[in-house]
Amino acid sequence: MTNRIQPSLSDGCLSRRTFLADVGMGFTGLALGAMLQRNGLASTDAWSPPTGQPHRTPKAKNVIWLFMNGGISHMESFDPKPMLTKYAGKTIAETPFADVQNPKKLALERLVVPDANGNQRNTLFPLQVGFKRHGKSGIEVSDWFPHVARNVDRLAVVRSLWTTDSNHGAQTQFHSGRHQNDGDFPTLGAWVHYGLGSLNENLPQFISMGTREYWNKRDGHYLGPAHDAVPLRIDPSNPLDFGRAERPFSSDAQRIGMDLIQRLNGLRGVEYPHDPAIAARVASYELAFRMQQSVPGVVDFSKESEETKALYGLDQPHCRDFGMQLLAARRFVERGVRFIQIQHGGGGAGAWDAHGGLKKNHTTNALAVDQPIGGLLEDLDRRGLLDETLVIFATEFGRTPGTQGSDGRDHHIFGFTVWMAGGGLKRGVVHGATDEIGFHATENRHYVTDIHATILHQLGLDSRKLEIPGRKRLEIDHGKPILEIIA
Amino acid sequence: MNRSTTLPSAPCAQPCRHPASPLWVVLAIAMSLPLSIGHGDIDYPKDIKPLFRIHCTPCHGALKQKSGLRLDTVALMIKGGKSGPALQRGDAGKSPLIARITTSDLNERMPPEHEGEPFSETEIRRVREWIQAGAPAPTDEQPEADPSEHWAFRPRTRPSPPMIRNPAWLLNPIDAFITREHQSHSLTHQPEAPRAILLRRLHLDLVGLPPTAAETAAAERDRSPDWYERTVDRLLEDPRHGERWARHWMDIWRYSDWWGLGDQLRNSQKHIWHWRDWIVESLNADLPYDEMIRQMLAADELYPNDLGKLRASGYLARNFFLFNRNQWLEETVEHVSKGFLGLTLNCAKCHDHKYDPFSQEDFYRMRAFFEPYHVRVEGLPGEPDLARDGIPRAYDGWPDNPTYRFVRGQENNPDKSSPVAPGIPSVLSFSPLTIQAVTLPDEAWEPERRPWVLVGHRAAAQSKIAPRAAALQNARAKLLGLQKLDAPTATNAIAEAQGELRLAELTLALAETEFTSVERRSESMRAAWARKGNRNPEITPSLAQAETNGSHAAIRAERDVALAKARHGLAAAELKRLQATADKKESVEKDFKKAQEALEKAQEKLATPFGPDEPYVRLPGALWTPTRFLDSTKDDPTVVFQPKSTGRRKALAEWITDARNPLTARVAVNHLWNRHLGSPLVATVFDFGRKSPPPIHRELIDWLASELIDSGWSLKHLHRLIVNSATYRMNSSVAGAELNLAKDPDNLRWWRRSPIRLEAQVVRDSMLSLAGILDLTRGGPSVASADQAASTRRSLYFYHSNNDRNLFLTTFDEANVKECYRREQTIVPQQALALSNSRLALDAAAQIASRLSQRDLPGARRPMDDTDFIHRAFEAVLGFTASNAEIAQCQLAMEAWRKPPEISDSAGTEDPARAHLIWALINHNDFVTLR
Repeated sequence: MTNRIQPSLSDGCLSRRTFLADVGMGFTGLALGAMLQRNGLASTDAWSPPTGQPHRTPKAKNVIWLFMNGGISHMESFDPKPMLTKYAGKTIAETPFADVQNPKKLALERLVVPDANGNQRNTLFPLQVGFKRHGKSGIEVSDWFPHVARNVDRLAVVRSLWTTDSNHGAQTQFHSGRHQNDGDFPTLGAWVHYGLGSLNENLPQFISMGTREYWNKRDGHYLGPAHDAVPLRIDPSNPLDFGRAERPFSSDAQRIGMDLIQRLNGLRGVEYPHDPAIAARVASYELAFRMQQSVPGVVDFSKESEETKALYGLDQPHCRDFGMQLLAARRFVERGVRFIQIQHGGGGAGAWDAHGGLKKNHTTNALAVDQPIGGLLEDLDRRGLLDETLVIFATEFGRTPGTQGSDGRDHHIFGFTVWMAGGGLKRGVVHGATDEIGFHATENRHYVTDIHATILHQLGLDSRKLEIPGRKRLEIDHGKPILEIIA
Repeated sequence: MNRSTTLPSAPCAQPCRHPASPLWVVLAIAMSLPLSIGHGDIDYPKDIKPLFRIHCTPCHGALKQKSGLRLDTVALMIKGGKSGPALQRGDAGKSPLIARITTSDLNERMPPEHEGEPFSETEIRRVREWIQAGAPAPTDEQPEADPSEHWAFRPRTRPSPPMIRNPAWLLNPIDAFITREHQSHSLTHQPEAPRAILLRRLHLDLVGLPPTAAETAAAERDRSPDWYERTVDRLLEDPRHGERWARHWMDIWRYSDWWGLGDQLRNSQKHIWHWRDWIVESLNADLPYDEMIRQMLAADELYPNDLGKLRASGYLARNFFLFNRNQWLEETVEHVSKGFLGLTLNCAKCHDHKYDPFSQEDFYRMRAFFEPYHVRVEGLPGEPDLARDGIPRAYDGWPDNPTYRFVRGQENNPDKSSPVAPGIPSVLSFSPLTIQAVTLPDEAWEPERRPWVLVGHRAAAQSKIAPRAAALQNARAKLLGLQKLDAPTATNAIAEAQGELRLAELTLALAETEFTSVERRSESMRAAWARKGNRNPEITPSLAQAETNGSHAAIRAERDVALAKARHGLAAAELKRLQATADKKESVEKDFKKAQEALEKAQEKLATPFGPDEPYVRLPGALWTPTRFLDSTKDDPTVVFQPKSTGRRKALAEWITDARNPLTARVAVNHLWNRHLGSPLVATVFDFGRKSPPPIHRELIDWLASELIDSGWSLKHLHRLIVNSATYRMNSSVAGAELNLAKDPDNLRWWRRSPIRLEAQVVRDSMLSLAGILDLTRGGPSVASADQAASTRRSLYFYHSNNDRNLFLTTFDEANVKECYRREQTIVPQQALALSNSRLALDAAAQIASRLSQRDLPGARRPMDDTDFIHRAFEAVLGFTASNAEIAQCQLAMEAWRKPPEISDSAGTEDPARAHLIWALINHNDFVTLR
């Protein structure tokens, strides 16, 4: 989207800056101007409205953000803890690791309601799945993720995340960096969208697929609704809200109409010269028309080979839906879409929320995502796209080492795992660690915004330069890039 | 690095939303140019002073002088504080200022931990270089002014409109204030807009709908000099005016239908639309603005028995949050302060305010006004079921809850050493605040006394009997029919029908028992009130006896109900057992056993003697909305209704609406101006504090505020003043005004009208109105999301919450329910898609085309041709007359549309080309623009 609508400053309508940025380029040159602007790098270290240029040479261009709603168990995925099995049935206090429950170490928790969600789960629950070392790197991965495991030498696994909200508000927190009690803040995708814009002028630049019924459905917040993710469906006949005429309307007739609209707006511009709104609207119609023509083709997989489709598991009912979203994600990346956010798992607070029956829950969910993710990583790499595409596998928090009920695990904020791949990161590395029962992140601890900072760093963005005057961000909002995993 | 302790105690966990000033924007533009910072060319005002303003002067400036030190001018830095000078020119090493901002010792470092962000390395380098260069600064550098002298905190005056030498353009005093600025900046005003534009402007602005063809024709015919003023009067009296402006105030006051997770209510309240209807009605009745505020904040204390007015306290009911009281009250404080007073008191939640003279304590003083309040749903005549309808309202349920200041704003760290009493920031105090508890009439805290409550419960219980009696007849008939068949195969069916009959008998019996229970309980409640209200000691014993008897009868009746329920349950279980297939036998048997046990229990209970204080369930006249502050899986203990209200909110409302309050009227007129003219007089509509840029038209604000108050807080008076001004009537074009444009490109001095991107609601409503299908039904429950596609009600009535917002409206920057002091006016491709592809727009286009085609031309002798149609379409859809060039373009398109035979397009319309043309005009920039 070319006309860069500025966020709400003191002035909610088209600001002077928009006027200068867009109209200065002339009536029809608007779209072109913004595109040309994106070819160089920003040159000043003072604050200025984003121009769509990175602040430093970028290592990555696109982001595919995979988010497991509900909270995946870190111990049973990418941070296996045999001690859980060894001490299964014992209370934490009876094990050599009793100190993990030292109240001082638990103080970072910030609850919305001081109730069940903040409870300690004291009796250790054995690992519900086996694990093995994989690849040259020998990184341990649970047996529920054989396809990701095959790709383990492509991953940078960060095993030392922590957050503060023990409830599913942590979903929003993972995206914005703020606890829900603080209010609503732009999410990472919105910041990237605001800072960089698109590599393709025919497609929306920030796309959301999958379900996000629990957490806040918006992204832009004070950056403005123009920076919300555009929701897309994998349905070539109707992938985009209002993406095609909801009444019969031939494309010829529509094209004649579009042409008329633009001409009439142009004529209005004679009577109302220097009206930035007319210029912006003309540009927005140009883009809308192109978008409407481009999007359906991207989610149409008829030109993909059977081998590729099988790689993403499209031939298998248990992972077909997620596989289609990931295949679409690759196709969007090929077309230069900047940020593709895919949420997995609906129902309640998210499909992975295994308070009970963790084994069954995680088996089913892992089956749904594992092969598509493995396929995505392989496909991106063989097409040479992984070098410039960051893939992130994240979740709002981990799950308790202790058991909840008879066979579940509760929410756990003190240590959990996120992995990243591609986009100029090291391959086949583990960074950070939790203690022996997976309770606390102990080595190289990272708050969730460190993941944001790492991504922005690779995209060549400096979050401090994106800051909006009057919208003070905290040090911790910016996070720190995890330099150890950057190649 | 372990940062685990820094997040919860973050210096400003609550977002301090200090909006930027235009100055900042200009600065930002300047700063975006390449800057070379080196020795000798450091610009102190531009590069250095802002750093001190961010990091230092909140504590070392006019607001506070910690350690006697001020850093708001270089002279003051050199003068220093208790520990001597802070700065030595030319020697950074000997300047304590540098030492204090660079030290790694957190006990020494400035700003202290939790009180602001440390200087970055680049910033330190700049300050150091500046000091080394001799700390150059302008010689006339002025210290910061005394915060209490800030214009918005000073008492309002009533300025006289300036005398203007050439007053020809002036229509009312607004224009005099505006003209003075024009003259002093050599600006010239733009001419008045054409009549058609003015008419569309007035209609969309005042009633939110475009003028009808008849209204346009009448206005065009009307040659009287006061057509405009009469149109204004007519529209202000139009009931649609209240709907239009209600939506504006609903933005500011954060209207939201309830939302949660699934069926669980977590935010706002069910039936909150009563408050919306109160807003609409109040605006139409021109209820004074001060009275609106009083009712919204304290109707329950001022008018405890007036349900119509109690609707207003939906303003507070909307802030309900199931899980967390602090979040609830913090939002309340934040938005009462921002919305009514233009204060960012929320910035003082964790620390003293960094710009305004408000202490952290002030935040909690404001909170204390609201500490006692809770939310309940009040029953309405004719609907005893509060899940179906009722008025969500505020009441003081926790009169004794203390308010504690949270250390650094952390809710787990309250300072319990001294509870905080309600109070207002001293800088805004003009007389002592008197808080007096309000003794409530009985009905207000025992709402079941309201005359319709018991009657309603009785009627509801009674209404259940007849249908059940009918069902029993049917069951009997069914059994008889089967028995008459006398077929051996019918044995099972007969057994089943017998079971059904038994169940039907018991269903009826249950309804009858429940009805009796309602009667007994009603009698008992009345007996209790009679005893309570009695002042005659002679009859006290007999009344007391009647109360006891009544209570026993009520308890007995409830036990009868329990028994009837158990019997009914057993019959149902029996029937299930009879019908169960083999695989279900086991579970059915279990249920049957349970039902048997339940019946035994009920029978036992019936035989036990009454306990001395045994309760029965009183028929409710209102229900508190349960919270889950303590445990997210079960309701907190009931918050009972109190016979007294603390009077705190009444006192607050009186202070806010006192004519001496310097902020309330100023903030209100700014809201009005913004919506009439597209941008406000004070750019930061929710922050009139020191951080907001000084407004250019301060006197105009004060004059308008005085008009508001002196007219008895009449909003319609203000609307009339503003829209009748010549300022409002100007053309929005800048054609021929290039000089003005160069001098004042942002129209800060109102030399022309600024076009406004229409709000989401107006875009949709306009289409429906032009199509002639807008349903003007007023009020009532919000239209559910699932019903919106088929609904032609005004958008104002669409369900609107954080979770459920209409997609079309959202695309056009629908209000954010959490905070929306100004609507966004974005222009994005999704809007183009919505207007060109939505069924709404396509249907409307066809309907508008057919409607315009049907109307005869006045005195027409010939059928309407394309040119006539194009003319009409422009006037109706866009509100202006098509030029020849525009007509030519339209004709070309229409020819093109007709060239290939259109088969499938726009089925049902007589001429697809005309529908297409309307479609194009709906997508015209000016359709979504208020010119």
